[in-house]
Amino acid sequence: MIKKMICLVLFTLFSYASDATVEIVKKIDVLPKIAVQDASPKNVDLGARQSFFKLLVGDLRVSSHFQVLDEYLQSSYEGGPLENFLSDKRVDLILRFSLNQDFNTMSATVKFINAKTGATTFEKAYSLSDKKRHPFLAHKIIVDINDNIGAPSIKWMEQSVLFARYIGAKKSEIVISDYTLSYQKIIVAGGLNIFPKWANSEQNAFYYTSYNGAEPTIYRYDLKTGARRSIISSSGMIVCSDVSQDGNKLLLTMAPKDQTDIYLYDLRSKKITKITEYSGIDVNGNFIDNDRRIAFVSDRLGNPDIFAQGIYDKSFEKLVYHGKNKNSISTFDNYIVYSSREAESEFGRNTFNLYLISTQTDYLRQLTATGENLYPRFANDSDTIMFIKQFGNQSALGIIRLNANKTYHFQLKTGKLQSIDW
Amino acid sequence: MGKLALTSLAVAVLVLTGCSQKSPEVDMTKSTADTQSSVDDGMSALQKLIASLEANSKTIYFDFDKYNVRKDQQANIDANAALFNSTEAKNFSIKVEGNCDEFGTDEYNYALGLKRAKSVKDGLVAKGMNADRLTVVSYGESNPAVSEHNKDAWAKNRRAEFKVLP
Repeated sequence: MIKKMICLVLFTLFSYASDATVEIVKKIDVLPKIAVQDASPKNVDLGARQSFFKLLVGDLRVSSHFQVLDEYLQSSYEGGPLENFLSDKRVDLILRFSLNQDFNTMSATVKFINAKTGATTFEKAYSLSDKKRHPFLAHKIIVDINDNIGAPSIKWMEQSVLFARYIGAKKSEIVISDYTLSYQKIIVAGGLNIFPKWANSEQNAFYYTSYNGAEPTIYRYDLKTGARRSIISSSGMIVCSDVSQDGNKLLLTMAPKDQTDIYLYDLRSKKITKITEYSGIDVNGNFIDNDRRIAFVSDRLGNPDIFAQGIYDKSFEKLVYHGKNKNSISTFDNYIVYSSREAESEFGRNTFNLYLISTQTDYLRQLTATGENLYPRFANDSDTIMFIKQFGNQSALGIIRLNANKTYHFQLKTGKLQSIDW
Repeated sequence: MGKLALTSLAVAVLVLTGCSQKSPEVDMTKSTADTQSSVDDGMSALQKLIASLEANSKTIYFDFDKYNVRKDQQANIDANAALFNSTEAKNFSIKVEGNCDEFGTDEYNYALGLKRAKSVKDGLVAKGMNADRLTVVSYGESNPAVSEHNKDAWAKNRRAEFKVLP
């Protein structure tokens, strides 16, 4: 187990495009310093080895549980006295990988070494039947060594990300990727297909809205079988905003009579229950309190704001009293993260910041400082949030590590992000 | 309510982009018809009439983050009602498409577009159109008329347009 000391550290400030950030002086733990060594056979393509090295180093950094040496190092797999200690690098830990690949498959063997003693504390072999998915292999390795040192779980790295991206007017694609966007596979293309939402925690199916028929329609796509079936249609608009924990109920925003309200749809009985009733805008329903209540966005008090109400109880309460224009929310246990428009201007770019609140206390924390930060979504823990960062016509996936107070961006190369889920 | 604990974030940057796989598992264009009319010499008389009516309809523009019809747009509502109630057009249905500028990527923007379409529908009904002939749909920010990123472009994208359906 790595011993930690406490000291004052000035965070290094990175910059990215127009995303100026704030300087921070904060008390944090001193993290173990780790180096990554490539011990792959020489006949394995150097580009593939270096790409895999970058993925491992990136994951280690995003975990926020290590100080990472960026230098690309090579070694033998067994290692000698110099390679197992790296005394000149003053590291605490060494992650050594040996990569092998053929036309379709990839395998990796890794060793995790305590550089103070030279002892191997963890060794494991991995194989992958589709080498295009190698970013997930890198993520799995880092999740395992993170577990090995007893750090808080980063299992969210193994989750698949589902996103829709605009590629033209009324044209979009739905893509599955890893959290770094290094792996991408287009699942739905042709026309306008938006708001993908995982159907279950196993991530083997998802819902999405298609605009390609007479009315906007929600489809369910099964990733195992490739089968697609229509679930429900509505004139005007329809979005699957959330799925109940048991996967049997959907929260829908739809407008069967030209008026957006939030509905509960029972997939087994096909029964539709209207939850909200307001002549303005009610959208973005999210289950809270063990699926007994919903949090949602409504302009019923003049500006878009966050409210809660019971599924079968029409009385509602305002959940957030900070800011005056919130337009997107996500919930996890007793926490809500939301996007708030800070400057209302039709003459310049708007600022949207993310905030985190508790439904149980008056806890409120600002998560971003500048730019357009939109569409926050919790991972399968309350420590990690994904969001969309927009830069004009370009966008990036943002990852916020709450406890570490760090944000990372992964730029989308093609198109503009419409929505995300993971 | 409470204290604002402004905890700013140090931002580290990691840019790892990758190539996308080009072949989708579902191609929605193979199972659904493209309903957009096209303008070419092979058009039927009906298609030409529809294209003419759509070209002569007046786009309705909206203020930032608003869905009420502005006073300066009321004349366009009146003109559209007269056009769609004309002898040539009275047998067609009209789809009102609501659109938004690029700010916001979520459900709220789509709902805002729908409210704009609904406001226009209500305006047309007030001018004598049969509500049964009118449908509304929102394209949110997905269908910009102008792709630039400036105030003129944003103003042109906050709009409602019309599709004539046989």
